[in-house]
Amino acid sequence: MEPTDPCSALLADKHVEFIKRLDKKHDELEYWMTEHLRVSGIYWGLVALFLLDKPAALDHQQIVTYILGCQNSDGGFGGHTNHDSHLLYTMSAVQVLLMLGALDQIDTKRVTDYVVGLQRDGMVSGDEWGEQDTRFAFIAVAILSQLGTLEQLDTQGIVDYVRSAMNYDGGFGSGPGGESHAAQVYTCLACLAILGQLHVVDRERLSGWLAERQLKCGGLNGRPQKLEDVCYSWWVLSSLEILGRVHWVDRQKLCGFILSAQDEERGGIADRPGDVPDVYHTCFGMAGLSLAGFKGYALKPVDPVYCMPKDIVERAGLGSWTDKVPESWRE
Amino acid sequence: MRIDGCSDIEDPAPLAQQAAWQDVEPIAQDDGPSPICPIAYTDEYREMMGYLRAVMAAGEESARALALSGRVIQANPGHYTAWVYRKRLVEALASDIGAELDWVSALSAKHPKNYQLWHHREALVERLWPARAALALPEDQRLANPVLRRELQFVGSALDEDAKNFHAWSYRQWLVARYELWAQELAFVDTMISQDVRNNSAWNQRYFAVLRGRPATTQLDAALARAEVAYAVEHIQFAPNNDSPWAYVVGLLLRHAPAALHEELLPRIRALAADPGFAPAMSSTPFYWSALVDIHEQQARALPPAERAPLLDEARAICDRLATQVDITHNRYWRFRKTAVGA
Repeated sequence: MEPTDPCSALLADKHVEFIKRLDKKHDELEYWMTEHLRVSGIYWGLVALFLLDKPAALDHQQIVTYILGCQNSDGGFGGHTNHDSHLLYTMSAVQVLLMLGALDQIDTKRVTDYVVGLQRDGMVSGDEWGEQDTRFAFIAVAILSQLGTLEQLDTQGIVDYVRSAMNYDGGFGSGPGGESHAAQVYTCLACLAILGQLHVVDRERLSGWLAERQLKCGGLNGRPQKLEDVCYSWWVLSSLEILGRVHWVDRQKLCGFILSAQDEERGGIADRPGDVPDVYHTCFGMAGLSLAGFKGYALKPVDPVYCMPKDIVERAGLGSWTDKVPESWRE
Repeated sequence: MRIDGCSDIEDPAPLAQQAAWQDVEPIAQDDGPSPICPIAYTDEYREMMGYLRAVMAAGEESARALALSGRVIQANPGHYTAWVYRKRLVEALASDIGAELDWVSALSAKHPKNYQLWHHREALVERLWPARAALALPEDQRLANPVLRRELQFVGSALDEDAKNFHAWSYRQWLVARYELWAQELAFVDTMISQDVRNNSAWNQRYFAVLRGRPATTQLDAALARAEVAYAVEHIQFAPNNDSPWAYVVGLLLRHAPAALHEELLPRIRALAADPGFAPAMSSTPFYWSALVDIHEQQARALPPAERAPLLDEARAICDRLATQVDITHNRYWRFRKTAVGA
């Protein structure tokens, strides 16, 4: 059945070209402004390509060489060559190497030591300057689980911190008292999932809160009374998937919203219809479509904890978080 | 690229033409042996980055390096490495922290949602007036301190600009908790709620201000619970179909004063729903019915098991109403919620 409205179809070829163009010189201002997170940009682009089942659209060897060149003497990775290490870019680097089957090319101990070195008083900072945020709790746990060195972290301290960020509405904030926000909810749930601690969550209240993120247009917002944004298709939907409640949103309407945010000329997906696309929203829009079971294209299934293709996660032995989901949650 | 109040960014001449930079050979962008996503720069940014790389590579610690780091950050505040370099320079040069705070403040107007700016601010404030020293004074004297007064004013302005700025609220929580400025916070929250009763961040802050950093298991005394119920209902009356006060009062009481759910909240919302002036609005908002489900469940919990059935049946009937009439958008949730009543 041919859709008459182009934006009810997934413009897969255009998205592939959009992502490939990231590899070329560009006059677009966005590209020099994002040098410092190039490593994350590559991760976002690769996820989208893998989910579109076009993994070879970028040169893997080139990427691996580049990523390895972003590792610093402290064992962490910067966002670009000769950039200082940060947990965010270390995460993206490890994920990219995992996806490309090149994790064996780094010294696991060096990266582990870098991450473990950022833990103080139970919580993990994003860098040596001490910024604390529940995002970093997840990232530290996710990195070490991918490296197989999770036992070197004081995971109890992390669980305690995440629990302290749980709010009266069932959601999670960036730290104790912080307003519930869908992105923080995702990172806290994903962290607890890896550590097998999901029982601390108020499953029903949080699921209800997440379901409420869907607005009449079908899009999802990140907290009450805020605008919809394609990236919440991931943060909210992955959270609901971990909670086993993804059917509580109208997935068809959500797909319609994501598709309407595609750029028909340039390819790529924007935060909302009519805006300029970027690789971040392209990644999370694609992941959202996959989780929502979009039928118009054979997207690869995505793991809701790691935001990487399910088959890669399982092959790496990381799919076992599903075994640790509370017994009472399985229906 | 100019920022008012930042004297180190005033000279618009290219660095290559500035006498102060003649001794430096800029280092061109090196995209590594296998360039991925090479980036096109505007000429000015490209030049600045070349000089920044040069002075970083040379380990230079100077006023001009500090100024340059500021220009790069101003152009691209997410540039993490420029921040790292700047922080090290501030230390090494023993820069005036007050001046650094001025610089951060000027930049924040343009970049209100940048993580590094807010975190840098925290570090500077802590250095300007360590909390340990501050807490030796009573709260009213702390509030009179110019450093804290400025910070409260700054974050207040940021919230005037964008009342839901996640970073600003987070920073304010850090400030209030670290310097124990609890006594003044509730009034601030009330002002924000008055400005926009639908501001979920402000209601979240009310919870923060009421709890005052105490554990999640704290039980609030009856008078406080009653006062918060009255406050919430007053704002519900103003706009019944508004998620935030409902979520706030139900969430607060469930955790910290469960008995008040049916002793205080229930009669007040029932009265409002019976009032002809408010009945249509109340009966058509999902939040009213949802609160009733929570309240009846809590009431049932307080009874012996044999006596719970009528309340739980009522809660289930309300879930049906929500699923089929009042909140059809979330009907899957309400159908499930019905099965979970009393579980």
